[in-house]
Amino acid sequence: MSFEPPLVRTAVQVNGFERKLEADARLTLLDALRDVIGLTGTKKGCDQGACGACTVLLEGRRVLSCLTLAAQCDGRQVTTIEALAGDDLHPLQAAFIRRDAFQCGFCTSGQIMSAVALLDEGRAGSDDEIREFMSGNLCRCGAYPNIVAAIRDVAGGRNHDA
Amino acid sequence: MTPEPRVIGLGLDRVDGPAKVTGAATYTMDVAVAGLLHAALVRSTFAIGTITSIETAQAAAAPGVVAVFTHHNAPRMKKPSWNLITPPPPVPLQDASVHHYGQYIAMVVAETPQQATAAAALIRVEHKAATASLSLDAPALKARSNPYFLDAKRGDVESALAAADITVDATFSTKANAHNPLGLFSTVAYWEGGRLVVHDSTQNPYLIRDSLAKVFSVSKDKVQVLVPYVGGAFGAGLRLWQHVILTAMAARAVGRPVKTVLTRPQMFTGIGHRPATIQRMRIGALRDGTITAIDHEATSTAAKVANVLYPVTLSTPATYRCDNVRGRDRQVRLDIPSPAHMRGPGEAEGNFALETALDEVAYAIGMDPIDLRMRNYAKVHPQTGLAWSSKALDECYRQGAERFGWADRTPRPRSMRDGHWLVGYGMAGVTYGHFQAKCHASLTVRDDGTVLVRSGATDIGQGTYTVITQVAADGLGLDPANVRFELGDTDLPRAPQAGGSGLATALSNAVRDATVNAIAALLSLASADHASPLHGCSARDVVVAGGRIHRKDDASRSETYGAILTRNGRSELTVQGSSAPSRAETGVLLGSLAVSRMGRAGRRLVEATHAIAPAGAFAAHFVEVRVDPLLGRLRVKRMVSAVDAGQVLNEKLARSQIVGGIVGGIGQALFEEITTDEGSGRVSNATLADYLVPVNADVPDIDVVFVGEPDSDNAVGVKGIGEIGLVGVAAAIGNAVHHATGKRLRSLPFTITELMD
Ligand code: FES
Ligand code: FES
Repeated sequence: MSFEPPLVRTAVQVNGFERKLEADARLTLLDALRDVIGLTGTKKGCDQGACGACTVLLEGRRVLSCLTLAAQCDGRQVTTIEALAGDDLHPLQAAFIRRDAFQCGFCTSGQIMSAVALLDEGRAGSDDEIREFMSGNLCRCGAYPNIVAAIRDVAGGRNHDA
Repeated sequence: MTPEPRVIGLGLDRVDGPAKVTGAATYTMDVAVAGLLHAALVRSTFAIGTITSIETAQAAAAPGVVAVFTHHNAPRMKKPSWNLITPPPPVPLQDASVHHYGQYIAMVVAETPQQATAAAALIRVEHKAATASLSLDAPALKARSNPYFLDAKRGDVESALAAADITVDATFSTKANAHNPLGLFSTVAYWEGGRLVVHDSTQNPYLIRDSLAKVFSVSKDKVQVLVPYVGGAFGAGLRLWQHVILTAMAARAVGRPVKTVLTRPQMFTGIGHRPATIQRMRIGALRDGTITAIDHEATSTAAKVANVLYPVTLSTPATYRCDNVRGRDRQVRLDIPSPAHMRGPGEAEGNFALETALDEVAYAIGMDPIDLRMRNYAKVHPQTGLAWSSKALDECYRQGAERFGWADRTPRPRSMRDGHWLVGYGMAGVTYGHFQAKCHASLTVRDDGTVLVRSGATDIGQGTYTVITQVAADGLGLDPANVRFELGDTDLPRAPQAGGSGLATALSNAVRDATVNAIAALLSLASADHASPLHGCSARDVVVAGGRIHRKDDASRSETYGAILTRNGRSELTVQGSSAPSRAETGVLLGSLAVSRMGRAGRRLVEATHAIAPAGAFAAHFVEVRVDPLLGRLRVKRMVSAVDAGQVLNEKLARSQIVGGIVGGIGQALFEEITTDEGSGRVSNATLADYLVPVNADVPDIDVVFVGEPDSDNAVGVKGIGEIGLVGVAAAIGNAVHHATGKRLRSLPFTITELMD
């Protein structure tokens, strides 16, 4: 049956700015970012929680924004790829370029956001650890060895016993 | 004046890197235009039959819905023009018949994607299904012989097999694979007074433009296709798919822009797949390792409603120096969505059979697999007898083996261990044919010393933005920072598809030509000018470096491009450049056919032309695997690939491209298989959770080395390397598994049950 979904009022802190949404309850955080707020850096590769392209930080932790409803984020902090660079690129962004850690670039926003969290989680201690804990982010172009190298570069800079 | 180091080949960072790491790169699904509507597609849930009723009233009345299209009300459209390599599937929503599972049978257009999706679920369909033929082993299927007219033969295979010391006769099978680029294929279309603008995930914008012009009966210059970034494609973007037609149709009908983003499950039925094959390979050899006969027969699948040019045995006759060879393709037409070319189409499957069977020969006669390949090395193109334009496959074997440590391998299966893991070393060679198509580019030199290069090509991740910037900078003696390359727009000069490993050759040579033309045009201004230090110079008398044209006889006398333009009262100067396949390319194809049909007389005919045989790329892959014989676990431990890529345009990006191909090959070997339900043809694993692709933890360190010289068939010396990374990986892994376990795996993907003791 056809039904009119309820509109939900949400105020999400996106990259430090409050965004007020009055939206369809079915709206995912991913679609809210992309279609409503206009931040298209976060990508949709499956909409089913299986690829990692939509990874963003929610309260500093990595989440799949396609599996997160916008309405769940009321009053919470969301960080997307657009907020990572200041005047200079974030060290991970620079390392991804230097190590050529992407080809088509479609998985890249998700890879980098995931890597930001990975470093905070302290799970970039070895190549094997990086491989394991970055395995939720698919790269169909097959840039994996370069992704590992880029993360290793940044982790190594932070933590010398890495 | 000391010559500057060449910009070509340097491992510069991607010029599109900053846009991609900051999320600023605009892929088709990111395009937003005012008044945009969103589409959702409804697919058939059966393979073949007729829709008897389709009820749309509820959907049409749902919130936000602007239009619902079915075969009852969709505008009638013309067929797109046929083309040999990628013939288009039928125009959708034109009648009640259904030809495969997942065919689009309705489209809902609404104000938001959520509304469109919700309304699409309200459409009720009744149908009458017929019995479908869905797989290669369906009973009573008739295979068509020589479907592409590319079958080749030389010598007498049967007699040679009968006279051989040893023969290998084996059957191989490969499964349907899905391209699954990470970017969901998307289309945004709008009409601006009779003119159609389409943003699309395509590898071939000009094909889309020309085809849509035909479908909607408008002239080609009334259609513009835009594609600055593509989220991967791997061959899926080489055709005009139905969702593209539907999006443009809907936009015209409702008079507003429409966006369609395929869902992941739709990506399994709507944009092609690598077809399944069954192959029989017979090889005859003498005890000394001379291969005396190769007979390769392959059957692959195609859709009943759309053909596909998919020769699987094409490379086999060009690979080894054997006197008696036959390559025969057969095709079975099924009630399935159309297959399409996927990275290394035909080659990836055919090479698996050939290079695995060769390993079997090596074991049968007790010879090292590399020695066997060198023993039968094809110094000339073996089908025509013509000299290669370049070939360093021997170097690939040599350097690859050395870096890998092949000499440490003890040949006997199960002879190498690491704890409870069985260790296996395997290798495979690759001969990848050359492909090139016509290409055009324009080049504008501005008085501020910057250069703008433009061509309607696409960069699907292979690095075209970057390498073409380098080619132009190299040709004009400029810092690449002063060159900008624009692509992905059919209002720019015509370029061919990013496909067939052919774009780098075509486009780099077109741009090289444009740089030569630019220097000539600038020089003709300067030469006639008494005030110029280059007065009286012709192209022979000058060199370019540091953004200036210098006299060869006195390098201190030079002038910048900007100064030449300014003194002649011009702010900029634009020239064109183009490239086309050499005559050798057609010569080899015709020559191969002549030899196949006319034997020795054909060979004499070919030799009389003194043509060369464009070589394409060569590679050797080396793999170490670990197999846990109790659990059937298989890990790829490390890989070394040596590639003859001719003139590498950018070392760093070329390496990435090879690595990416290898990762695709690991997927083909270990994971990838589209599974379908019997009867309905439903794809039962149409998500990225169920259809497995390699993840980070599946991929080891991969060492890539480039060998060889610039190719002599084109001015820049390029060979295409988009596909050669993938081809050969499956055979190399399978051969390593045999070495580790003694088990010969002839069916892709390899499964745990085959590996358990
Ligand atoms: S889009 Fe969210 S995991 Fe794929
Ligand atoms: S760069 Fe294309 S999917 Fe990762």
